[in-house]
Amino acid sequence: MMMILLTAWKNVWRNKIRSLVVIASITVGIFAGVFAVGLMSGTMEQRVDAALNQEVAHIQINQPGFRDNYDIDLLLENSHEVAKQLENISGVSAVADRLVINAIASTATKSKGVQLIGIDPPKEKQVLELDKTLIAGSGNYFETKSRYKLAFIGEDLAKELNIIRFRIDESVLDSLSEKGIPEEVISKIRPFQDTRFASEKAFLKSMKNVLSAMESKTYGGSILEEAWTFRDRSKLTLTFLDKDNIQTGGMFRIAGIYDVNNSMFEESQLFVLQEDLKELTGIDKDAAHIELLKIIDRDQTNEITEEIRQLYPELEVLNWKEISPDLAMMTAMVEKFHAVFLIIILAALSFGIVNTMLMVVLERTKELGMLTAIGMNKKRVFTMIMSESVFLTLVGGVVGMIISRITLWFTASKGINFASAAEGFEAMGFSAHIYPSITNTFFITVTVLIIITGILSSIYPALKALRLDPAEALRTE
Amino acid sequence: MHAVNGVSIDFEEGEFAAIVGPSGSGKTTLLNMIGGLDYPTEGNILVDNTDLSTLKSSQLIDFRMNHIGFVFQSYNLIPVLTAAENIEFIMNLQKWPKKKRQDRTMELLKAVGLQDRANSRPSKLSGGQQQRVAVARALASKPKFILADEPTANLDSKSTGTLIEIMENLNKEENITFIFSTHDARVVKRARRVITVEDGKVISDERKE
Repeated sequence: MMMILLTAWKNVWRNKIRSLVVIASITVGIFAGVFAVGLMSGTMEQRVDAALNQEVAHIQINQPGFRDNYDIDLLLENSHEVAKQLENISGVSAVADRLVINAIASTATKSKGVQLIGIDPPKEKQVLELDKTLIAGSGNYFETKSRYKLAFIGEDLAKELNIIRFRIDESVLDSLSEKGIPEEVISKIRPFQDTRFASEKAFLKSMKNVLSAMESKTYGGSILEEAWTFRDRSKLTLTFLDKDNIQTGGMFRIAGIYDVNNSMFEESQLFVLQEDLKELTGIDKDAAHIELLKIIDRDQTNEITEEIRQLYPELEVLNWKEISPDLAMMTAMVEKFHAVFLIIILAALSFGIVNTMLMVVLERTKELGMLTAIGMNKKRVFTMIMSESVFLTLVGGVVGMIISRITLWFTASKGINFASAAEGFEAMGFSAHIYPSITNTFFITVTVLIIITGILSSIYPALKALRLDPAEALRTE
Repeated sequence: MHAVNGVSIDFEEGEFAAIVGPSGSGKTTLLNMIGGLDYPTEGNILVDNTDLSTLKSSQLIDFRMNHIGFVFQSYNLIPVLTAAENIEFIMNLQKWPKKKRQDRTMELLKAVGLQDRANSRPSKLSGGQQQRVAVARALASKPKFILADEPTANLDSKSTGTLIEIMENLNKEENITFIFSTHDARVVKRARRVITVEDGKVISDERKE
């Protein structure tokens, strides 16, 4: 047996160039497929993590029908008691309650419909990490001492309401110079000094008028970042209905601006202190609209959701897959894409191996005839051909997996920045900075499947070799 | 038209026989049938009282491995193995112990005068040297007889002379039967029995003193 395997291994390198080409094609195919899967997985993983840690949490509980119209009267009474009971459930890490009210947010120039979320910051921090998404220099997470009530708003809403503006002044031009932006580019935008742009759109349009396409692409992001201004003590007006359906509201000072790389979320979700909202709406201190739950192990979501449903059959209990079915759908779709990618990679691998091994059998017809003539039985001929195929597959597969692993390890720590498409990514709720990821299970699965494919692909060529008549084969030129 | 037609022939142990005839006369077919590579449509082939025509394909392969050695016109060595590994190949198939294999290989390499080229691959050997390795390989498993199909066809005269001498010595010293199919007059001259074949029939069978 060792002799057969040794001969098979040596036969692989008989035609070095052909073998290296086949191995290279297997390597590239495996690498491309695994990396693409890693990119997709990483993107979805980040999206789900962001949703769970910044937007929706794992489980939400509310009165039935509340999500239809966000009716202010559909309250969870004794919400603090409910929260304590929920915290005692095994697997639940933290609970926070919220008020949710539809409102209009306005500034002097613009207004927009928003969802006003009344939160208790210390409890909220245990469930979600929204505080960590604060944009540097835009304030804080409800730490400001002010005579005004405070609001924590999304960057895209701030831009929409012209709270964030774009302005080029001397300090901006100095910062751009320090960043290494060429003087030629700076001189082109200098005429805009002390011009205040009402919107990002207007700013970008003006920049594009003076800069070339290459300059816009290369330096546009840095210029936008430096020109971004937020006037401290900015305010907005929030208008909504109280518990008696009477219009109420107030002026709120912007405590801070957050960025979760999700335009839809940032434009619609505005956070205020729960006590302020209760004061304005007249809602009872011990009532809330929604309980938000964070659980320890995401894989236990379904079990814990069922357990809470058993405990509170009169309430609506939804997990993140039900609250964001699009996310659940995308996650499931990405898993199916993994399978499709894998099938394509393995099919291509299989065709490559079958083609190569058929050529090998054809070229060595005489030799195979000789081997049979001198006493090599069919089982050994079959084993030899199959071993050559498996060796080819393994070498290409292993090299491909190693390169994928190294590339994924590197890109997983540095990430891949799709800054030029950031707007499009964020409009769909995805970060433009992707950290590819692959599970060990997937790696092992792919490796095993590669080996199996190599074995299965060798069957047809090996059978062809067995069907050779030794006398006929020996007559071959 | 039959490649071999109405042939009835016996070979005894220790014979050094040549089957001669023009191209297409049926020499190779006859040799293939003796070696169990071709089946006769009528009649049988008895080797040591074993009727080859009754054996299944897998049994024939085993029979060839244990009883018959082959030397081919174009050497047919395994190009990725060294001379020693080519010779050891059959012994490996027969699961000889390593020491016994190595000893036999060295013995055969010495017999064919290539003990210094044990680790050379066929591409590094001349045609004559390759054919000598092929002879050593054919002898490796101590077969009943060696079938050599035009073994000198691709060799120069010096190599041919060396090869025939080696085979003759092995025939005399170890009483191994050699049956050649050949056009080569030098081989025919050294054969002690010459069987002439034409159009698939044996037209003469001469034994020399």
